[in-house]
Amino acid sequence: MKRRACTPPALGRDVAPTPVGAQQALPLVGARRAGEPRSGLRPSPARRAPTVVPAERLWFCAWLPNLPLEAARKGDGPTAVVEEQQGVHRILLADTQALTAGVMPGQAANAALALLPTLQLEERSPLREQQALESLAGWFERFSSFVSIVGDDVLLLEIAGSLRLFGGLQALRKKMSSGLRQLGFTAAPAIAPTPLAATWLARSGRRVCIRDAANLPRAVRRLPLACLDWPSALCEALTDMGVTTVGDCLRLPREGFTRRFGAHCLLQLDRALGLLPDPRQSWRAPERFHADYEMTEEQTDRELLLNICRELLEAHERFLLVRQLGTQRLSFSFFHLRGPATELRLGCALAERSADRWFELLGIRFERLVLPAPVIAVRLQGGLTQPLQAESGRLQLRGKRGSSRRRFSITQLAERLIARIGDQSVQSATMVAEHRPHYAWRSQSLLADWSSSTRDEPPSYLRRPLWMLPEPARLSDDGGYPVHQGRRLQLVDGPERLETGWWDEDGISRDYYTAQEADGRQLWVFRNRSREPAWYLHGYFG
Amino acid sequence: MSSSLDKLLENPRVWRGCDQAGCRAGLASGYPELDRYLPGGGWPPDALTEILTAHYGIGELRLLMPALAKLSTATPEQDEPGWIAWVAPPFQPYPPALRQYGIDLSRMLIVRPGDAGETLWSAEQALSSGTCAAVLLWPETLDDQASRRLQLAAEQGHSWAIAFRPLSARRQPSAAALRLELKSSGQGMHVHILKSRGGRPAVVRTRL
Repeated sequence: MKRRACTPPALGRDVAPTPVGAQQALPLVGARRAGEPRSGLRPSPARRAPTVVPAERLWFCAWLPNLPLEAARKGDGPTAVVEEQQGVHRILLADTQALTAGVMPGQAANAALALLPTLQLEERSPLREQQALESLAGWFERFSSFVSIVGDDVLLLEIAGSLRLFGGLQALRKKMSSGLRQLGFTAAPAIAPTPLAATWLARSGRRVCIRDAANLPRAVRRLPLACLDWPSALCEALTDMGVTTVGDCLRLPREGFTRRFGAHCLLQLDRALGLLPDPRQSWRAPERFHADYEMTEEQTDRELLLNICRELLEAHERFLLVRQLGTQRLSFSFFHLRGPATELRLGCALAERSADRWFELLGIRFERLVLPAPVIAVRLQGGLTQPLQAESGRLQLRGKRGSSRRRFSITQLAERLIARIGDQSVQSATMVAEHRPHYAWRSQSLLADWSSSTRDEPPSYLRRPLWMLPEPARLSDDGGYPVHQGRRLQLVDGPERLETGWWDEDGISRDYYTAQEADGRQLWVFRNRSREPAWYLHGYFG
Repeated sequence: MSSSLDKLLENPRVWRGCDQAGCRAGLASGYPELDRYLPGGGWPPDALTEILTAHYGIGELRLLMPALAKLSTATPEQDEPGWIAWVAPPFQPYPPALRQYGIDLSRMLIVRPGDAGETLWSAEQALSSGTCAAVLLWPETLDDQASRRLQLAAEQGHSWAIAFRPLSARRQPSAAALRLELKSSGQGMHVHILKSRGGRPAVVRTRL
């Protein structure tokens, strides 16, 4: 029976023309046919119908039953993964070395250690498993452009498009399974025309390869309900009814099944058989770099820490280089055994990936960084990545003065300044087309896009001060004239009336004057008109 | 004759040896009466200039504006205009007014360091970077050693450093190539040249 389900790859026939689900009508499905959802979306003229052949899909599924163990493995010795169950650490999985020594899943950790003192026990870590699964997904991307992670332990690949490139199904399967073995993972593989069927078949542990959709229902029908990942209560209820396989399920009346167990399960069955489309989401490699460097003992040597940072930055550069990306920000965390980690964030004006540049910025900050305790681990977290803007070099004809005097560019200078004194402290200023003096300019961070400044020219007949006070300062009044530092000011120019701003509820009504002190210093003062009149100092002509 | 010669010299394919000589004339201040007293006929390039005033805002910026405007615009002599860095300014340099004086705002960098040490460090970085044509700084204190460092950084980065200091700094020694004291009166400004490398002390009255 198994042999019949597993169709050997037919020579010279890489793409099977059989459309999915073009087989005999299933008793349960009733009127619905596989072709219908497709043609129902877009009715096509009858004469063109034969040319519409749905693209065949073929899914490779790898179920990793030993993932907790394989993700935790560190050395060569016998290893077992333990999980806490009701307060007792029990063996969840053990490798062959441990199993031959008599260690068994479900055993208490102490009993296992008594049997095999050299046994390495590792606590189960879902996070570690997820990371292992993702790194495996990244590895699988060499075989297919569509890799998907299902649940905690299943990888799905669409391989119909890869068959020709890898020299047929057999060769591809061999490559994938030998690769998995080399990476140290045991996988239960299965191949089927629908992703769900492939997953179920893999979970059943049968090494099945179904290429022809016509053979799919037969294989799926024989699957026990246990490999469907349905809730255990539902499986129990079905088992009590005598329904133990998918085939038994399909034999039940659709309406009754939906009413009793919900539409969700029926939908899954239809999807597995290819009667309904089953869209999947492709896994995408994270575009942020993240790396840890763990030390065997705590370190205080700053030189050593800097070297570790440099190593991490070089790995970061390699990561970005293959993707042709750069990043504007990254952060280092220095972990201590006790207490929170010390964070160090670096920013850069333009997307950058060069380890040297980042290291230079790090050096500026690191010498001032206070580490409250010895460091046990260093983490480098890359920021959001963006495509790197390549700069073309310019031919310098001007000799000495043109090129050699430049030690670093303005962006590098800005980065150095920002690294030491902070993002908010290094800014550029730009003009805004606005009549209210305090809105007529704005400062912008150098990390922002600084090419977006307006090119507005202020009218030359309006005199504006070179120095502006952050806030207008109230001046006292002496017989209608403003007083500054105990002396009455002389108004030499004005008034210039500036009014309104009702649209953002910050309206003004002011008469601006140029005032002069006895020593010749010129001030920009105004008289507030809207409320009780008062004099204010707004700037110096500098 | 001279116009056709000028045209020829403007041609980028003509390479002129005098560019290499390293003899940089002073940076014209825009005030001929002042230039006459400054060695090189203008502000000393690649050096530290100190300007002492009783208050900020008496006209110290206006004195510099013509030279700064020239630095921030592209000329045939320089490939691209340099940047102007403002380190620890006492107030906000007001962009509309700067624009009126011809300063290119997109080539302006305003740095507000947290303390005196950072002010000097930022200025030194900006000066030695070789990107900034001029660095204006308002240090809280500037001792002899710090002024020497600024002077060296200015030489290294071929940049013009201008430090604004209170009148009380007059008695302190300084490595600046040029020290000026500004006094404003209703009629104009008195520029008192306290120290000038290669020049002589003088008092100049400008119309400002």
